[in-house]
Amino acid sequence: MPQIFPKGLNPVARMVLIALPILAGSTGIGLAAFYRSSYATGIGEEVPQPVAFSHKHHAGELGIHCAYCHTSVETSHFAGIPPTQTCMNCHQQMWTGADLLEPVRKSWKENSPIAWNRVHNVPHYAYFNHSIHVAKGVGCVSCHGQIDQMNLVYQSKTLLMEWCIACHREPEKHLRPRSEVYSMTWAPKAGEKWSLADFGGSEVGADGKPNPVLSDPNFYDAEKKQFKDRPADQAGIGELLKKQYHVRDKVTLTNCSMCHR
Amino acid sequence: MPPEANDDRQPPQWSGLDEYLDSDAFREAMADEFPEDAAEWTDPVTRRGFLSLMGASLALAGAAGCSPRPASGRKILPYTSQPLNMTPGVPLFFATAAPLAGYGAGVLVRSHEGRPVKVEGNPDHPSSLGGTSVFTQASVLDLYDPDRSRRPLHKGNPVSYEAAVDAVRKRLEGLKAKGGAGLRILSETVTSPTLADQLDALLKDYPEARWVQYDAVGRDNVREGTRKAFGKAVNVTYDFTKADVVLSLDADFLTVGPGQTRYGRDFAARRKVRQNKADGGTPEQMSRVYAVECMPGLVGTQADHRLPLLASHVESFARAVAAELKVGGAPAAGTLPDAAKAWVGPLAADLRAHTGKVIVIAGDHQPASLHALALAINSSLGSVGENLPVRVWAPVEARPDGKVIDLPTLVDQMAKKQVDTLLLLGGNPAYTAPVDVPFAEALKNVPVKVHVGLYDADETASLCDYHVPTTHYLEAWGDVRGHDGTTTILQPLIAPLYAAKSLHEFLVDLGGAGAREGREVVRAYWKRRFTADGRSGEFEDFWQESVRKGVVADSAAKPEAATLAGDWSANAPPPPAAPADFEVNFRPDPTLYDGRFANNGWLQELPKPVSKLTWDNAAFVSPKTAKDLNLKKWFAWTAGERGRVEVSVVELEFRGRKVKAPIWALPGHPDNAVTVHLGSGREKAGRVGNVESEPNAEGKPVRGFNAFALRDSKSPWFAGGLKVTATPDEYYLACVQGNWSMVEKDPISGTPLDRRPARRGTLDQLKSDPKFAKVPPASPGETELIDLNVPAPGDRSHGLPNKGTGVAPDNKPHDHSNKDATRHGADQEKHEGHDHRLTPLTMYNPNETLYPKLDEQQRRRWGMAIDLQACIGCNACVVACQSENNIPVVGKKEVTRGHEMHWIRIDRYYSGDPATGADLDTHFQPVACVQCEKAPCEIVCPVGATVHSADGLNDMVYNRCVGTRYCSNNCPYKVRRFNFLTFQDWATDTIKLGRNPDVSVRSRGVMEKCTYCVQRIRGAEIVAEREYARGERKDLKIMDGEVVTACQSACPTAAIVFGDLNDTASTVNRWKSEPTNYGLLAELNTMPRTSYLASLRNPNPAMPGKG
Repeated sequence: MPQIFPKGLNPVARMVLIALPILAGSTGIGLAAFYRSSYATGIGEEVPQPVAFSHKHHAGELGIHCAYCHTSVETSHFAGIPPTQTCMNCHQQMWTGADLLEPVRKSWKENSPIAWNRVHNVPHYAYFNHSIHVAKGVGCVSCHGQIDQMNLVYQSKTLLMEWCIACHREPEKHLRPRSEVYSMTWAPKAGEKWSLADFGGSEVGADGKPNPVLSDPNFYDAEKKQFKDRPADQAGIGELLKKQYHVRDKVTLTNCSMCHR
Repeated sequence: MPPEANDDRQPPQWSGLDEYLDSDAFREAMADEFPEDAAEWTDPVTRRGFLSLMGASLALAGAAGCSPRPASGRKILPYTSQPLNMTPGVPLFFATAAPLAGYGAGVLVRSHEGRPVKVEGNPDHPSSLGGTSVFTQASVLDLYDPDRSRRPLHKGNPVSYEAAVDAVRKRLEGLKAKGGAGLRILSETVTSPTLADQLDALLKDYPEARWVQYDAVGRDNVREGTRKAFGKAVNVTYDFTKADVVLSLDADFLTVGPGQTRYGRDFAARRKVRQNKADGGTPEQMSRVYAVECMPGLVGTQADHRLPLLASHVESFARAVAAELKVGGAPAAGTLPDAAKAWVGPLAADLRAHTGKVIVIAGDHQPASLHALALAINSSLGSVGENLPVRVWAPVEARPDGKVIDLPTLVDQMAKKQVDTLLLLGGNPAYTAPVDVPFAEALKNVPVKVHVGLYDADETASLCDYHVPTTHYLEAWGDVRGHDGTTTILQPLIAPLYAAKSLHEFLVDLGGAGAREGREVVRAYWKRRFTADGRSGEFEDFWQESVRKGVVADSAAKPEAATLAGDWSANAPPPPAAPADFEVNFRPDPTLYDGRFANNGWLQELPKPVSKLTWDNAAFVSPKTAKDLNLKKWFAWTAGERGRVEVSVVELEFRGRKVKAPIWALPGHPDNAVTVHLGSGREKAGRVGNVESEPNAEGKPVRGFNAFALRDSKSPWFAGGLKVTATPDEYYLACVQGNWSMVEKDPISGTPLDRRPARRGTLDQLKSDPKFAKVPPASPGETELIDLNVPAPGDRSHGLPNKGTGVAPDNKPHDHSNKDATRHGADQEKHEGHDHRLTPLTMYNPNETLYPKLDEQQRRRWGMAIDLQACIGCNACVVACQSENNIPVVGKKEVTRGHEMHWIRIDRYYSGDPATGADLDTHFQPVACVQCEKAPCEIVCPVGATVHSADGLNDMVYNRCVGTRYCSNNCPYKVRRFNFLTFQDWATDTIKLGRNPDVSVRSRGVMEKCTYCVQRIRGAEIVAEREYARGERKDLKIMDGEVVTACQSACPTAAIVFGDLNDTASTVNRWKSEPTNYGLLAELNTMPRTSYLASLRNPNPAMPGKG
């Protein structure tokens, strides 16, 4: 029986043998890279909205507090998208005739909601809760980026599970004093003092006893009757806050049922 | 020798007749984890269907491949102006009441962004006390029933509501001249004060009009009996917390009835036995229950002594007991079977010994004379009156004197063409009317028939001229009274989904004085009542408080004098003769009631509490009768109770009327009697109740057979003279008892091992051997380990010696700094010691996530305890779980393939001889995932889709599951459920509305199971930690009651507790310290977090039989 393949094809066969695993490997790497690419995750991509609402103008230039519109960020899993009424609070006084605001006025007149396009989208089986993150000292900026610099909001983090888990494994790298949660620019620096607002805001706790932080030498100087300086680096602040805010250990924080139910 | 084989402290248990007989089919079925063909995709796949499926998956693949983009076009729609007091994402609870056949049970309904999703009991309502029934739990599904009517109809054609009402109003105005002669109103029992007031007003305007209240499962006998006993219309309620001895005369007060939920709570309060004083229930105060019953019901399963007796013999039996007790005026008894005679003496002695603390309660279906007799016995034993077990109140129902006629009179008038206009306000009489009262036939003679109801295509609506859709109770304002008369003002949680009007609004519109909203109508009535009742304060405060709380303060009925009428036994019928042929018994269906829930998938698929049948009713007979009938097939000789059960079909002939029914042998049923459940066989129920491909035994596309076709008004409940003929036909039933069996084969002999999962004992046994329920050791020295196998907190040692058990000699926490030591050898003993657990008798490493270095304050260990003594097997937890966790309904065919998805199942176990039935003992055991600490499922999952959490939950990660089903194979408890097919309804919009947004909706190919309602746990943790962070809370401890699982909150008897085992003050900890606490299949060393308290009986040694 004659040979089907001529001998000259042997090097080709060898090359194929070598190339196949390389191909398979690079396909895997390629897919993984694609999965993390800004195209697949949607990072940095401005999402068009029915009203060209500028966070840069409202939150950045005018300095409106995040929670003025996102009212339920401290009480619910959902930070809340403001009802048309919130827009109208101001805009029945100013820019009342602006074309840009026509959809808002229409919504108000017809009592029909404005259909905003979702920017930050986690899968339906992941149950993210805003309130607990804010309560434990995770800043808005940690997940949403510098919203105050965005005209139309875009996603600035991957929102992939590995990104969530990275923080759940090492929360101390991202914790900040509670009074700085809404700050877009805060970074640890020397010379800042702790404040009561970082620890419940009241000198008396729910049990009627003095706020325990007032007897904690890490934060409060009982002799001078004043708060101490915050550490100047994230590592120092993170370690202190992780304990003080009762951020749970990484085993607990990475339990599947923390986020998936 | 396997440990269970020498467990002589427990009686043998069997879950069904096939297991008792150990048939070959049973053994065969036992061999497989999943029933035969469970994994087959046997849905017919046509070429066309296959192509469309392929097309769909291609399209999906395309969509997924080309656009992995996260924010792919999802929208957020905020409010235009947000309602006050509502935070998006945080559910709100509203108090209202779930009406059933006129009576309400208080509920708190959870609403997510305006969608009512889950019904819970209202602790403030006396008919609920926080518990619920299956009907209450499932009522929310009716709201979202896609078959509800959506628009008014005139002779089947859509018409505007105004046009329909105008036409009817004109008709009524025409009748006014004659005083309303010819106007008839037909409703169910009405307790609603506002509706009664509106109908009163209508009847005043039309003095010749008449009102018919008809309930197929009515309480006419009860009403008539109490009237006889006390000489006037009164309402009797029972306080089981005050009864030392309960005698049930064929009464199943735990299955149906206005007070069922409350009675369950009270009943169980006197049955729970606790050593710990904090929980009440000392062994001394356990009540004793005697049940005389025909169809085995829930009361019988709980009874200390149970006597199977034909329903027609029950009255004679009661008379014999009355004679023994020397009750004045009691009529003479007839002849009784010997077994019953032997009961009379010791029973009467026990009743007499507990004078003043006795309840004798007769079944709703027993004749009025028996009700009068039961009350006379209660009265003569000094049990009737204030602060006594039996209370007498003013009646709760609205029945204006002289205006009410009964259904036969109405039908007679209709036949004689005396009825001009018939207003049908709810109910389905065309289906439920007795056969000798031909309602549907007579309806043809009524010129104008107006139907107001939820469905436009049911048996009655389809015969009417006008149909007006009415609101579900969650959509409308209204009011309703509970079993003791306590009134609830119903508030809507959602605007009507369709163009529906409440009965109140309809009647106002009919009056023509201008439309008013339901709220205005109800409010106006209560404003008048507020003044008339002489309440103090502001009306607005009263209204707000009543609506908010779900209970109108002081609205219970007024107590009535409890003196027995002199002539209570006058006209008592002679003792019924022994029934000729077979006795037929008609009973309300334990899940479908009178058929109104025939289109409710949750209730159709819910196993009937005792028989465990789903989707069908059957002719229930005793095993002996089944044998005598010489049937071709009977399940003990066929596939057994293993999902699909082939049974013979018999023909039931009663007074010339015939139906074909599948037969079911039920241990404990008296011989020579057949029980049939009403409510099945509805031909116009809807898409759940009528499926072409699933015909009943008669070949019609309906669920079960229609028992109403046998029933007449002469003997609506039971009578002799039934003929039963075997037919060659066969039919398959879906019975779930055999699915998920925990029975294991002996590895050597192959015989099934009786593991005695539902442990039970007697009060005496508890005194002499308190730990009778513990799993016996396999080898010497293991006892302590098994005792400790149920995870216990560190401060408890069960008083056991610590020698050589791996339990540390002291209770002090150990230093965990040497990490490696926790994994190996002898050090392990020391290091797990402080947790007071045994050295793992396992080849697997200890679950590291359970022993992390944790700040003690943060560490919670969730656990559950279920009191088998209190579990009455009512199934409320099953529906609650289904509702909370978005569990799909799979349909009859799928149930017969072992595909039903209920996360919690109630196993039923018998002990005793099924042939006699007299000493048969029935026990229920709810089994959901027990959250093993050493979970066999976790180690076999190849993708890590089921893993342990630090607080002891056996997490199930749906999005990781690839569907290998290894976990289910390895689960000894058989609590994992696999989505073999796409069981979830992704298409029906209304069903989507009713889903719980906190729980993932699982699709095909995913394993699922109980997670201890992890969404509620995480929710409560987040609230606790948030509040703590804000300084609103003292510590991070989560107290009892902050996390209540769905099954726990639904349970009418409070048989389930859940909580933090690390919290030494938690109830679950106290329950787990009880000596009767045991771990299910603890011999496997799975260390389940759910443990059970053994069931106890309190038998009277003087009684015949097992005493």
